[in-house]
Amino acid sequence: MKRLTFTIAATALLVLARLTPAAAVINVVASIPDLADMARHIGGDLVEVKSLATGVEDIHAVPMKPMYAIALNRADVVVVLGLEAEHSFLPALLEAARNPKIMRDSPGYIDASVYITPLEVPTRLDRSLGDQHPMGNPHYNLDPVRMKDAARAIADGLARNYPQHEATFKKNLADYLATLDAAIARWTVEAAPLKGKKLVSYHPDMIYFAARFGMEAVGIIELRAGVDPTPSHVEELEKMMQQEHVTFVVRELHYPAGLADTVAHATGATLVELPVMSGGRPQTQTYIDFIDYNVKTMLQALPGR
Amino acid sequence: MRSIPRLRGLAGIAIGAVLGLQLATAYAEEPSAAQLQSEMKAMREQLRQLQEKMQKQDEVIQRLSKPKAAPAAAAAEAPAATPAGAAQKEEQLKQDVTDSVMREIQPSLTAANKTFPSQFNPALSLAIDTVAAYQEIGGGNFQFRSAELGLSASVDPFARAYAFINGTSDAVEVEEAAIITTSLPYNLEAKGGRFFADFGRLSKFHDHDLPFVNRPIVLDEYVGGESQADGVELSYLTPLDQYLLLTAGAYNKIGAENFRVSNFDPRPLNRFTYLFRPATFINLNDANSVDLGASWAYTPKLDSYKIDGTEFLTDGKARQLAGVDLTYRYIPLAEAGYRGLIWSTEVLYNHETFNTGSETDPVYGPENAVGLYSFVEPRLTRNFYPGFLFQWVQPINGVGGNTLAYAPYLTVWASEFQRIRAQYQYLDAPGAHESQFFLQWTAIIGSHVHGFRDR
Repeated sequence: MKRLTFTIAATALLVLARLTPAAAVINVVASIPDLADMARHIGGDLVEVKSLATGVEDIHAVPMKPMYAIALNRADVVVVLGLEAEHSFLPALLEAARNPKIMRDSPGYIDASVYITPLEVPTRLDRSLGDQHPMGNPHYNLDPVRMKDAARAIADGLARNYPQHEATFKKNLADYLATLDAAIARWTVEAAPLKGKKLVSYHPDMIYFAARFGMEAVGIIELRAGVDPTPSHVEELEKMMQQEHVTFVVRELHYPAGLADTVAHATGATLVELPVMSGGRPQTQTYIDFIDYNVKTMLQALPGR
Repeated sequence: MRSIPRLRGLAGIAIGAVLGLQLATAYAEEPSAAQLQSEMKAMREQLRQLQEKMQKQDEVIQRLSKPKAAPAAAAAEAPAATPAGAAQKEEQLKQDVTDSVMREIQPSLTAANKTFPSQFNPALSLAIDTVAAYQEIGGGNFQFRSAELGLSASVDPFARAYAFINGTSDAVEVEEAAIITTSLPYNLEAKGGRFFADFGRLSKFHDHDLPFVNRPIVLDEYVGGESQADGVELSYLTPLDQYLLLTAGAYNKIGAENFRVSNFDPRPLNRFTYLFRPATFINLNDANSVDLGASWAYTPKLDSYKIDGTEFLTDGKARQLAGVDLTYRYIPLAEAGYRGLIWSTEVLYNHETFNTGSETDPVYGPENAVGLYSFVEPRLTRNFYPGFLFQWVQPINGVGGNTLAYAPYLTVWASEFQRIRAQYQYLDAPGAHESQFFLQWTAIIGSHVHGFRDR
């Protein structure tokens, strides 16, 4: 009888332990590591954050793995770069995840772009102009100043879902922004030699970085965004680059090396290989490390240094 | 600030008017020299007064045109201001600026935000698929395969809906039109209407989305082309860390070109087709993964049927169609846009009773048939996808020999929305041993979404 009582009690305890919710950690899924890093800083101990992309991918071609649907199914909130940057994988994954909390326009869908003033907002939408983003160029994560607004959007989004923790999110945000501001001040000084330099990138994702540090993005290797170049386009691009005295050809790491190298050689420009998200290189695990890496890599590639 | 030039203009007009009036009066009355001197003096006085007035107006204008300078100067003269006060003033200033900007842009925002009924129209797309084919035995022709109109939108907070209306060279039909729930509890999703039943892998693809020109023979023969079905489907995403999706469905029949079962006549429950499918995903590492699924479609009793006036008798026994599909993907994350490899294989098994005798003297016998296709498609660049398709199929009714086909092909993507595909196929089928050549040109306009099923 005693053994039976003990067994029942132990079973009841086990069931209770299983039913009692663990410490209420907020499950955050971010589309890219930059946002995941910020969410970790802003959420602190209250959040557990996963990123769908690892950082080495093209944000427009992240493989749509069913395991991501599982992560999104468990998520309390999802943080996205927005401006349709994740159009190739996230909408379908959100449908597959069956989680009404994080569907677009639900409170749990945190769009980091809501406070962003985008560049290259198209005045005409037409597929002949390439793979356009109707709301503007979505690669603003390469601009650390704009990413301060993204951090604010994340903090506001978390507070919207968890108002009881608003003060914590605000304090963590202020701490993070102070760190980011200090880094921005340092980069502004360090990147001074880059001012006025012209660059050509494979895809139009360097314009925010260029604008922030006083450079000029004068062209792309792609024929149009998302459309591979034709030989005549490459020829015209090379002519333009020589006339404009372009200093850098930037190959985003997820694009093929051959053509960018050829264009750089043909025009005397310096080839620079850059990640477009944190995690794109082993030494870029945080957002600040990522921008740091890009600034330093550009500086090291400056002719004469 | 627009008032400044306006005030100046008014003052100029006033001076001109006074001078003009005086001159006109002088000419009219022909005055004496003394009178003229006196009037000149009066005019000078009036001019002086006007100049004074203009000077005062200028001063007012200057003051008004520098509203921000005053608080700054005042702040400089008030060193005792507290940090809290300064912060409050800064907040107030920010608020004022925000209000001012909002007042400026509000009309544009309102205009941009105006709604009209067509804004709720569904997203539209059109896929055009055309093929030039040449076959050793049959000759060649241009095949307008389809113009497929796609529509999709949310219905309400609980469901979304989509439809594909397909126009071919001889008909227009609703290929799919389905309602899907979006907020059922317990990871459930229900689908109803006409849609492609969740059987296997490529039977759920529209023709123009296939990785090669023609649908695999085994899917045409055993499923009946696309797995089109009128019915309902319920799927459940299990709460496991391992991705496992379970689907159950009930339909009139499965297969757009499966004419062995009527899609129209009412029937008892044992004449419907029922489906069960588990599907999982194994992530071997970042770059390598496997999709694995099994499908089982069961029709408890099959009635006799007619095709083109010819009656085909059955003994009312069950039909079972089962399949296993496996897709291996190598997609290096950093090169996903232009490198990779897909290898996909599907094996189907059909068990069904056929009449091997005549209409008057039927002899019923169960037939077990197996068929498969397997293709491999490496991605060499962003634009060039070569591939090789192998097929082997037993006849579903046991009549005739097996079919063997192999087909190398090359897909060239001009962009994400347009592609050209060349395919050679050697077909070794009963009554047809021939080479076939295909050239396919496909384009999509309008709304474009990447579906989870079409991965």
